[in-house]
Amino acid sequence: MKALSKLKLYIPLTVLFNSLFSCDSFIEVGLPKSQLTTEAVFEDYNTAEAALLNIYSGIRDRGILTGTGQGISNLLGNYADELVSSESPTNSSLNFYKNSLMTTNTAVSGFWTVSYNQIYAANAILEGTHKSDKMTIEQKKQLQGECYFIRALLHFYLSELFGSIPYITDTDFRKNSKATRMPLPLIYENIEADLQKALTMIPSQYLEQERVRPNAAAVQALLARIYLYNKAYGEASNAASAVLNQNQLYILETLNTAFLISSKETIWQLHAGTAGRNTSEASYFTFTAIPPPQVYLSGTLLSSFDAADLRRTAWIKAVTKNSATFYHAFKYKENNATAVSKEYSIVFRLAEQFLIRAESRAYQGDLIGAKEDLNKVRNRAGLTNTGAVSQQEIIEAVVHERRHELFTEQGHRFFDLKRTGKLDNVLGPIKMAWNTTNILLPIPQSELATNPNLLPQNPGY
Amino acid sequence: MNYFSFYKDGKALYCLFFLGIMLSFSSLYANISFRQNSNPQLQIKGVVTNGSDPLPGVTISVKNKPVIAVSDYSGQYTITAATDDELIVSYIGFKTAVIAVAGRTVVDIRLEYDTTALQEVKVNAGYYSVKESERTGSIARITSKDIENQPVSNILASMQGRMAGVSITQTTGVPGGGFDIKIRGQNSLRTDGNSPLYIIDGVPFSSESIGASQTGTSFPGLTSPLNSINPDSVESIEILKDADATSIYGSRGANGVVLITTKKGKAGRTRYSINASSGTGRVTKFLNLMDTTEYLKMRRQAFANDNITTYGPLDYDVNGTWDQNRSTDWQKELLGGTAQLTDINTSISGGSVNTQFSINGSYNSQSTVFPGDFTYSKAGAHVSLNHQSEDSKFRLSFSVGYNIQRNNQPSYDFTYDARSLPPNAPSLFTADGRLNWENGTWDNPLRNLNTEFKSHTNDLTANTVFSYDIAKELSAKINIGYTSLQNDESRIVPSTIQNPAYNITSASSSIFLNDIQRFSWIAEPQLNWKKSTQYGAFDMLLGATFQNRESSRMVQSGTGFTSNNLIYNLLSAKTVRVLGNDETQYKYQAFFGRLNYNLHQRYILNLTARRDGSSRFGPGNQFAFFGAVGAAWLFYKEQFIKDNSWLNFGKIRASYGTTGSDQIGDYQFLDTYTANSVLYSGITGLAPSRLYNAGFGWETNRKLEVAMELGFLQDRIFFTTAWYRNRSSNQLVGIPLPSTTGFTSIQANLGAVVENSGLEFTLRTVNFTQGSFSWTTSLNLTSPRTKLVDFPNLQSSSYRNQYRIGSPLNIQLLYNFKGVNPQTGLYEYQDINNDGIISFPEDKQIVRDLSPKYYGGIQNQLIYKRISLDFLFQFTKQLNKSYPMGPAGLMSNQQQRIKNSWSQPGDQAIYQIYTTGYDKAAVTADALYNESTAFVTDASFIRLKNICLSYDVPLNLRDTQLKIVLQGQNLLTFTKYRDGDPEFISYGFLPPLKIITAGIQLNF
Repeated sequence: MKALSKLKLYIPLTVLFNSLFSCDSFIEVGLPKSQLTTEAVFEDYNTAEAALLNIYSGIRDRGILTGTGQGISNLLGNYADELVSSESPTNSSLNFYKNSLMTTNTAVSGFWTVSYNQIYAANAILEGTHKSDKMTIEQKKQLQGECYFIRALLHFYLSELFGSIPYITDTDFRKNSKATRMPLPLIYENIEADLQKALTMIPSQYLEQERVRPNAAAVQALLARIYLYNKAYGEASNAASAVLNQNQLYILETLNTAFLISSKETIWQLHAGTAGRNTSEASYFTFTAIPPPQVYLSGTLLSSFDAADLRRTAWIKAVTKNSATFYHAFKYKENNATAVSKEYSIVFRLAEQFLIRAESRAYQGDLIGAKEDLNKVRNRAGLTNTGAVSQQEIIEAVVHERRHELFTEQGHRFFDLKRTGKLDNVLGPIKMAWNTTNILLPIPQSELATNPNLLPQNPGY
Repeated sequence: MNYFSFYKDGKALYCLFFLGIMLSFSSLYANISFRQNSNPQLQIKGVVTNGSDPLPGVTISVKNKPVIAVSDYSGQYTITAATDDELIVSYIGFKTAVIAVAGRTVVDIRLEYDTTALQEVKVNAGYYSVKESERTGSIARITSKDIENQPVSNILASMQGRMAGVSITQTTGVPGGGFDIKIRGQNSLRTDGNSPLYIIDGVPFSSESIGASQTGTSFPGLTSPLNSINPDSVESIEILKDADATSIYGSRGANGVVLITTKKGKAGRTRYSINASSGTGRVTKFLNLMDTTEYLKMRRQAFANDNITTYGPLDYDVNGTWDQNRSTDWQKELLGGTAQLTDINTSISGGSVNTQFSINGSYNSQSTVFPGDFTYSKAGAHVSLNHQSEDSKFRLSFSVGYNIQRNNQPSYDFTYDARSLPPNAPSLFTADGRLNWENGTWDNPLRNLNTEFKSHTNDLTANTVFSYDIAKELSAKINIGYTSLQNDESRIVPSTIQNPAYNITSASSSIFLNDIQRFSWIAEPQLNWKKSTQYGAFDMLLGATFQNRESSRMVQSGTGFTSNNLIYNLLSAKTVRVLGNDETQYKYQAFFGRLNYNLHQRYILNLTARRDGSSRFGPGNQFAFFGAVGAAWLFYKEQFIKDNSWLNFGKIRASYGTTGSDQIGDYQFLDTYTANSVLYSGITGLAPSRLYNAGFGWETNRKLEVAMELGFLQDRIFFTTAWYRNRSSNQLVGIPLPSTTGFTSIQANLGAVVENSGLEFTLRTVNFTQGSFSWTTSLNLTSPRTKLVDFPNLQSSSYRNQYRIGSPLNIQLLYNFKGVNPQTGLYEYQDINNDGIISFPEDKQIVRDLSPKYYGGIQNQLIYKRISLDFLFQFTKQLNKSYPMGPAGLMSNQQQRIKNSWSQPGDQAIYQIYTTGYDKAAVTADALYNESTAFVTDASFIRLKNICLSYDVPLNLRDTQLKIVLQGQNLLTFTKYRDGDPEFISYGFLPPLKIITAGIQLNF
């Protein structure tokens, strides 16, 4: 009896511990429902494309090109002479308006971190598609071409804002955490190389009806701008022509239709995402009562318009109460959701290409061609042909025209003043705290802290 | 939907079956031991006293019989026993008496104080319990007596200031907000990886925050699930600190373990109790801000300093748009309200010798100090049931708690507005009672009352323990627990938060919704073997843990409503978007064991070990082994000291061992893309989840402790001191990376070693006990030190501007403030590298330590007849940051002290020149000020944390007790800190409230 009870005891005990120690597989878990392995993403064109589209929605919503108050359309407008920020200490535009940026400014660090995150995503797609053996060559080429374009676009803006910056071409964090700042000429070589690669891969037709995916013309448009900024006028002119010559696809619209989704002036625009949604630009810039809660157009900009300029009334709206009047940009008109989306945020449009070619032709001595391009833009705005005669006059007329054609669009005004060396002359007298060193934004302090190879800080900060 | 995959894993089920099979043997081992007594039965009555006063709640049992009685509030008892039986009378704090009935029917009992009986208290150590005198580990404890004295609704609040080595900070005074707890300092470089493991009646309770940033609220951080634990149902809280106590929790013990034991029924007559209290709460301390005259003077001076002669159209405060004679104390207006508190708690308990029960129901509500009508309410029920078989071999313990929380708050903390609004800003309401927008010249702060935050949390914790004595020395036990938490939160942003002049309609109103469900089960089969031999007593425990937790989450937004009245109806939204949807799983398994060897109750050795596996690590890194050795020497029993007249207790104990931490979140080792809610061209995006590193493993924490416990004069003075040193290495952190890598951090192990060491003292003295007056004092004091011992290549790592080897973790690197330059009027800082400019990081090198130097509490308890007074002072010696208010001169109020600012060359001022924001040098100097030595200031405080006065009303009713209780929390604060309340983790949030409540406690 005693032996039996002992046996009864030991059998279950032995089995218990045997079983316990063989239970290691208990802790195996499946993937979380919202995640997909990187390998699986690039086994399927649709998921790889979703990874790409996520970069575009990112560009639309965050970082440098976003139309919200945190993008350069607003912030550089304040930084230069286009916009005035209302005096509320919590207004994030205020420090840009006052030209008193700290190295800890969150909008500035947003430009940096968000852009590099998007560059990472582009590089990850380049690497993922390269490894994948499940997609066709055509599919890979198209995805990769867009990634090269994105990489070039973001590095272009980063270098315009921060000066010399690291040019990131892979996802190796060990290497990239020690990245060094590349001299500007080299950055431009890299951008050009990436865009030339993109040109061979991206189709010239739009993948989708609404021009929300960059095609070859978008690549040419960016190339044209970069050549212009680098004073490579021949190349700039050719690249712009590559777009302008497609005169079936691209046509200057009327002032009131230029910013609509269906505008044939658009080269590349950012899909609004949800049906019925419109642009962040419209919701940020528009105000319906005064005083304006965020920003309003500056007196200097308003007074610089020619009386006959129709853009002054078509693209600018006045809001009056009692005797006070404030103005806001009115290029995008839908500040709320509509039944069907009417406007998307436009990154490249034809008018800029005309002005790039006009300026390039002028510099190359083709004054007639230059005036012809310039007048296209002027005539559309209800202005007569330019009265400029000499080369210098024409160049100045083009820059003057750019101010009125491209105001509050992606910081064109600031970049124009910068590349023409006029920042100090123009902004010095009218912006109280303007300083020559404001030409570059500060490298975010957190970046200098985590990667000393980025030192020294830009001058003035 | 597979919330409950208990059955998916065959092996787990298989393991569990064993216990069932083993338990089924129970009938084989059961034998009838109940002995019938042939002697006549008597009904015995009597009173239990301490010599002068009656003692309620004393347990009276009959030796060797399942008969039990408990004395009532007048000390009276009745029990049935035979004439030759012996009564065993026991009560905590008194010597157990054995009294022969000897044929009497009236037996009055006088119990004698046994101060050493404190040593007999069984302390819960999780998997086992241990006699206070024989414990080898470091365990701090508070009981329901301390908890009930406090008008608080969060269990962490009830522990503040009462335990050595436990530092608790309240993060916001908004009800339903959270607390920050650190047990023996910060072990991990990750700021979110330092929470202890919470266990309620054997079931782990996840403290990972619920809530989502989209439904983000006025709390600093997300909603903490710990609010679900109802303090009224808690019997005791034990905190395990050293390796001996925590190693058995292995990978989850590094930051300490908080064991919560809920109330259980006691055998005896059914008892009823009702506690009800009600009271008010107000903000402890405001900032001393400028009034209108001082403010406008500052503003005008700022314009003058910036050479601006005409005020801009938007400078409403000075340009005449706003009444320059208005003066509003915005802190009073926006934070000066009175919160109403109500707490009701009822319970029924009782039972027979074999079965006891306890049922507890409670309700608690608290409104806010903000304007508007907002409440936080909580209701809960707790049921516990214990049963044992006639032969006591089979035992069952069951408890279940269910709590419902409803929180309704503005999703906005008005503290920022209250501190920054110009004092001459317009009135909140127009003459006809509507929100005043003053022609659009300001954003009325009360618009934010329309942005409601609502949170509903339902929380269930259930636990069953079956145990069975297989043989005399061997018992088996299984603990099965289940928790379920459901939380749905919403935040609305209606169009009414905008000035109606902008004609913003409900078409742009939006709602954000967050639904979280979290389920977990745990099964822990255990075997316990106990044997006493002439060579000492052995106590061995072997067990296993299987735990599974599944969480699912859905975050949605709805935008565009035909009317704001429909805003809570997602169906009415024009656009509905899913912002997040995920299901995650966490699985955990372990084997653990304990071997305790006790020789003559004098030398005790305690070995514990655990092998842990967690699904949070990648293949090859999932398992790890943890273990500890603890020893105690009760030297007062040695011959050379025995019968010492003044020393009645003495123990030295020591322990060393390892614990770990897996608080890194789930799935961090995977190389994945995550679905993003953002659409482009009608397609939902996929974003890279993180930088990929599958190779990270467990963080380990080595704990060493030596402690001494001494009792003098029959424990009238009881002193303990402990020295500890915890070293955590293989730090698992999100290593900060420059953004050029695409991300800002990567999960990896870091060779850094963090050392937390310190001294803890507790002293309990019975100062006076004579007749009907007694006075006892308890003191606890902790002097902690955190040090970064080692950090390979710190100088070339991304942490170089955050840490210093040899310094604590909670340091700030600061610019060295030199004062205001009398000529320029600007703040000046030391140019450490002499390059002519103040630059980062070269000149930001001065170290200030913000961790507390020491902290603790002194508690006094005075009892005179029927009046008892209990009060606790909490103290902390520390530095902390001032409250940043931005450059003085902007359209934002400032502290009154700033009025003595520099105004002209030659001024010797403490504060620099005012600017409207155009003086970039001044703006920069001000920004540096907030990162300079001038900004870090003494934030030490002594606070009357809790006071409780109670009066036991003489009713002359048998079995009935009525107490009237006055309670106060945070009533007095002594501090040099000038920027509001000194208790905060991140500034700008509502400080803790001072609370006064009055209530009654009725027991019958």
